[in-house]
Amino acid sequence: MANTTNGSVIKWQHLLLWAIFLGGLALLPELADIKWIKRGTLRTFIFANYLAIFAMSWDVLSGRTGYISFGHPFLIGIGAYTTGILNVRFGVDPMFSIPIAVLVTMAAGTLFFLPALRISGSYFALITLAFMELIYQLVQVIRPDLTGGTRGISGVDTLMRGAANNYYLSLGLMGTIAILLWAMMRTRLGTALSAIGMNEEAVEGSGLNTTKLKLFAFMVGAAVAGVGGAFFAHYLGYVSPRGLFEITLAFTIIVSALLGGAGTIIGPIIGAIFLTFLLEILRVKFSTELTDAWPVLDWLETALKGQGRFFIYGLVALVIYMYQPKGIIEIVNRLLARIRGAKA
Amino acid sequence: MAFLEIDNLSAFYGRAQSLHDVSFDVAQGEIVAVIGTNGAGKSTLMDSIIGMVKNTGAIRLEGADLVGRGSAEIVRMGVGYAPERAHLFPFMAIEDNLLVGGYTARDDIGRNLAHVHELFPVLKERATQETSTLSGGERQMVSVGRALMTSPRLLLVDEPTIGLSPKVCTEIAATLRRLNQEDGLTILITEQNINFAMSLATHVHVLETGHLRVSGTPEELMADDELNKAYFGT
Repeated sequence: MANTTNGSVIKWQHLLLWAIFLGGLALLPELADIKWIKRGTLRTFIFANYLAIFAMSWDVLSGRTGYISFGHPFLIGIGAYTTGILNVRFGVDPMFSIPIAVLVTMAAGTLFFLPALRISGSYFALITLAFMELIYQLVQVIRPDLTGGTRGISGVDTLMRGAANNYYLSLGLMGTIAILLWAMMRTRLGTALSAIGMNEEAVEGSGLNTTKLKLFAFMVGAAVAGVGGAFFAHYLGYVSPRGLFEITLAFTIIVSALLGGAGTIIGPIIGAIFLTFLLEILRVKFSTELTDAWPVLDWLETALKGQGRFFIYGLVALVIYMYQPKGIIEIVNRLLARIRGAKA
Repeated sequence: MAFLEIDNLSAFYGRAQSLHDVSFDVAQGEIVAVIGTNGAGKSTLMDSIIGMVKNTGAIRLEGADLVGRGSAEIVRMGVGYAPERAHLFPFMAIEDNLLVGGYTARDDIGRNLAHVHELFPVLKERATQETSTLSGGERQMVSVGRALMTSPRLLLVDEPTIGLSPKVCTEIAATLRRLNQEDGLTILITEQNINFAMSLATHVHVLETGHLRVSGTPEELMADDELNKAYFGT
């Protein structure tokens, strides 16, 4: 939505910025080699990359078209479970199980799409939430010999060894998806999807087939969720109902996209990195260094029975969102515009 | 055969009926106005023609029935719709708003865009500006411009002057007249602003709570005492 430039033009400056951004991220393992950053930080970045993929997927489906999905883990989980079951139970090579998982997730995406034909707004959000809850329950009781029931499936083949390799893999995936989506969204197709989010009736009145457009957005969103979910399962080496079909994951994805800047590609990526590190720093330091420095936090931690960091996380998200509803990316853009303005 | 024929049109929102057996014709190259107060069914009439409201009866464009077709098809058949200007895409650049309109008429995008820019130079100057930051008059230009991007033969304009200053109204009237005379575009507008409608249209229809009450040329309607009392308070 922050994209106010002519949507159909791809300039080399933009590609250069992408190259600098992704190239910069690609240097992180080198920094770990010379001990500038910790190995563990690399692991945090891997999670951030996968979260970025999920957030971009959510943004294509929800951030653009305005059909807010609260059940995005449904799609991610289908992708993860499909490749997990095929790989562990049937010994299928990840080279085949991952593409199959993506196709299955896209099929599941049509399930998501059906309610979107008739309802929108909060009703659609609630139905997607129901989808997720439903599969969370079903996966535990139906064919536990396949799904592993409440415990899930462990022993899923990992594709890479070591933090650095896994980091490159996740970054490569994230970068490829980002650039593909970015290019797609700069066509008139992307403009039309954003237009649906702003006023679906007006899009229809302009002679566009909103049903086809929405189906396309849902398929793309589901495909990206499937890729992310499947690779994530092969990174973790296990799938479990608690870890995947979880409302917390749904909210983390949504908050990443909104906080970074919905309706953009770079926004959800920045949001995902920001959020992952915020949570990580709060997790590691909240009850030690931070509470030592600010006694009020110590009091908060005691009052909230050790869950104080979530209060801070919520507060930070709230403040940023209230200050700039278009997200961090808009704050950065305005800052850059101001610097440019000062120079001119 | 008239260019646009509307025969016994009734429109429904769920079980509520908001148009009752409305019938009138629009000849090719004509400007026709439908006037009425809030809730008379003006927007419903427009939405029916463009296929966004459930309706019964017949709407024919050059003999081809539009009822039952989807909006996408109706737009492709040559009906361009400029809805009330609240129906723009607010957080999108002017240019992108126009390009969404150009989705169906891909081959004509360059020509149509140039034409819109020529009609409304301000839309070219501010191409990258978000429409949410525009004035009412400028937004109305975007709305008409977006409809023109569909390469219409029939242009529907829903309440073009609502909330605009007399000066801006005059400009819009001039543009619509120009589109009609120079491009031969057939135009159907709805209005609450009786004077605007009377000065522009060759035929005027008065819509009251979903019923077509009276029709005629502006001169005929001016001579109607009862109508004058109701709408001009004289």
